[in-house]
Amino acid sequence: MLVKMFHRLEEVLIGGLLVAVTLLVFIEVVLRFGFNSGLHWAQEVTLLLNAWFVLLGASWALREKAHICVNALVRVFPHRIRKIVTSVAILACIGYVLLFLQGSWIYLSKMKMIGIELEDLPIPKWTVMTVLLIGFGMLGIRLLMMLWDVWRNDQVEQFHHTELPALDSDSIAQQLSDVAWSDKKAGEK
Amino acid sequence: MTAAILFLILLICIFLEVPVAISLGLSSIITILLFSGDSLASISLKLFEATSEHYTLLAIPFFILSSSFLSTGGVARRLIDFATSCVGHVRGGLAMASVLACMLFAAVSGSSPATVAAIGSIVIVGMVRNGYPMSFATGTVSTAGTLGILIPPSIVMLVYAAATEVSAARMFMAGFIPGLMMGLILMIAIYVVARYKDLPSLPFPGFKTLVQNSARAAGGLMLLVIVLGAIYGGVTSPTEAAAVAAVYGFLVSVWGYRDIGPLKGVAWKKDDESIAYAMVRNAFLLPWSIIRSVTHPEIANVVKDASKVSVMLLFVIANAMLFAHVLTTERIPHEITELIVHWGLPAWGFLIVVNILLLLAGNFMEPSAILLIMAPILFPIAMQLGIDPIHLGIIMVVNMELGMLTPPVGLNLFVAAGITRKPIGWVIRSCLPWLALMLCFLMLITYVPSISLFLPEYIDSLQN
Repeated sequence: MLVKMFHRLEEVLIGGLLVAVTLLVFIEVVLRFGFNSGLHWAQEVTLLLNAWFVLLGASWALREKAHICVNALVRVFPHRIRKIVTSVAILACIGYVLLFLQGSWIYLSKMKMIGIELEDLPIPKWTVMTVLLIGFGMLGIRLLMMLWDVWRNDQVEQFHHTELPALDSDSIAQQLSDVAWSDKKAGEK
Repeated sequence: MTAAILFLILLICIFLEVPVAISLGLSSIITILLFSGDSLASISLKLFEATSEHYTLLAIPFFILSSSFLSTGGVARRLIDFATSCVGHVRGGLAMASVLACMLFAAVSGSSPATVAAIGSIVIVGMVRNGYPMSFATGTVSTAGTLGILIPPSIVMLVYAAATEVSAARMFMAGFIPGLMMGLILMIAIYVVARYKDLPSLPFPGFKTLVQNSARAAGGLMLLVIVLGAIYGGVTSPTEAAAVAAVYGFLVSVWGYRDIGPLKGVAWKKDDESIAYAMVRNAFLLPWSIIRSVTHPEIANVVKDASKVSVMLLFVIANAMLFAHVLTTERIPHEITELIVHWGLPAWGFLIVVNILLLLAGNFMEPSAILLIMAPILFPIAMQLGIDPIHLGIIMVVNMELGMLTPPVGLNLFVAAGITRKPIGWVIRSCLPWLALMLCFLMLITYVPSISLFLPEYIDSLQN
């Protein structure tokens, strides 16, 4: 229940960030042309929102299986080997996350010590950069959950599913077979 | 040595099904830690900067958002009606109309698989009904759908611009003539086949229908005018034009066409009301629909889909920038260039190698990922050999188009198989003749640079 609510929150937050960035740039354009003015902080905020969007979104996209992967090779392995291979892949990802977590931690603590502010806004720079820790932390948790899923629930399709645009293909296939059928009937006549 | 380790780790990761973004990042970090003095902290900073210091990159999520609003069936149907009333009366006209509709839709949506799905799901049935062989119908639509990444505005071109710091506006301009040319070549080929196979034509619907259909399609097509006009009029940057496009796409699909969202099924003019009343009612519906959209599940789904693709692409790009950073600091492209110059490989020979390399890579990965890995390597070499950066970009994009049709990971093939419910082998066979045509087109683009360079250079000469 709590997990579900968290997932919903994540989704709304990320969609909201995308909409917010879009609207911010749009409003800037309107202000510039309609009213000959602008928001001096708009560009910096836009870019920072984008960073939050991407770094928070990375773990969400992993859950949604939206990241590009190549499964041409691993597909041919038998299930038992596939489980090991997928675990190795997940462990490699965890290694990546740990390296970044450490790097971000060092960088953030230095930034906090120096205490630089953003260019256009009176906010210390390290606060907005905490998204590095949050984003990679969430990515790490997500990866651990995937590892659990591989061994506990025997699920090896962790990274990829062949995503096709949503289609109403039932009705189309139906229509096509209808056409073929009526052609055949016309031929018999 | 450095290069070998970098590429080895990258390939191992990619083929173990580690996401491409993480493979790029991980191989770069390991190479940096092993061979250069950069600290982990500075690598983290680089990644943060990659997501927060490139204003041009923002055009990508915005175009994806506008394309997901306009990828609904309604826009596709209106464009198809418009195209059919334009060229439907020529022999083989329905197939030509599908190519035209694909070109228009591709231009509006900027994505190939979306084009095949939206246009194909309607016209393939239509063509089969009118007596076209089904394999012919499937082949034309899957091929014409690849135009999506060549005709501006195109997301793949933005990715190339991001990877090489070439101007996105010039890339768009350069794609214009090749895109039109490819469409024309397809239509001519269809006409020849239609004459030979005696395919049917439709009666001319009359000018009244033509005008009506153009008016209905205009809402979608205006997007093109707005985007390209704003960029080339020098009014806004591509990023700002893309943001306007996203807002416009939302308004057109929710308030204009009303295929999705809160106004679905609400008529523009009810039968028993006067025109003035209808206008007032619709004016009030505009803010009402915007407010209602905030909580509307269909709108939320469109935004969710767009976020998924955007996050995925931007995360790959951020990691690819790390990768490009390693390549430059370790001078890897420089070494390869020296090797090539040492071999005495001429520019045309290099371009053949590029073509083969990209076609092979196209079998395993999606276009944007390939571009992000290959562009930082190929770009400096091409510069050294005197190849125009814009021309190289167009070559890469046309290669990616072919990649969407080549098995086993040709995305358009899967979409076409999904639409027709035929096995993938059947779809591949029906696309094969068109693939051959595309290969000839690729050669043409590769060895006649002026096709891609004419328009951007002409614009430059106008501005000076």
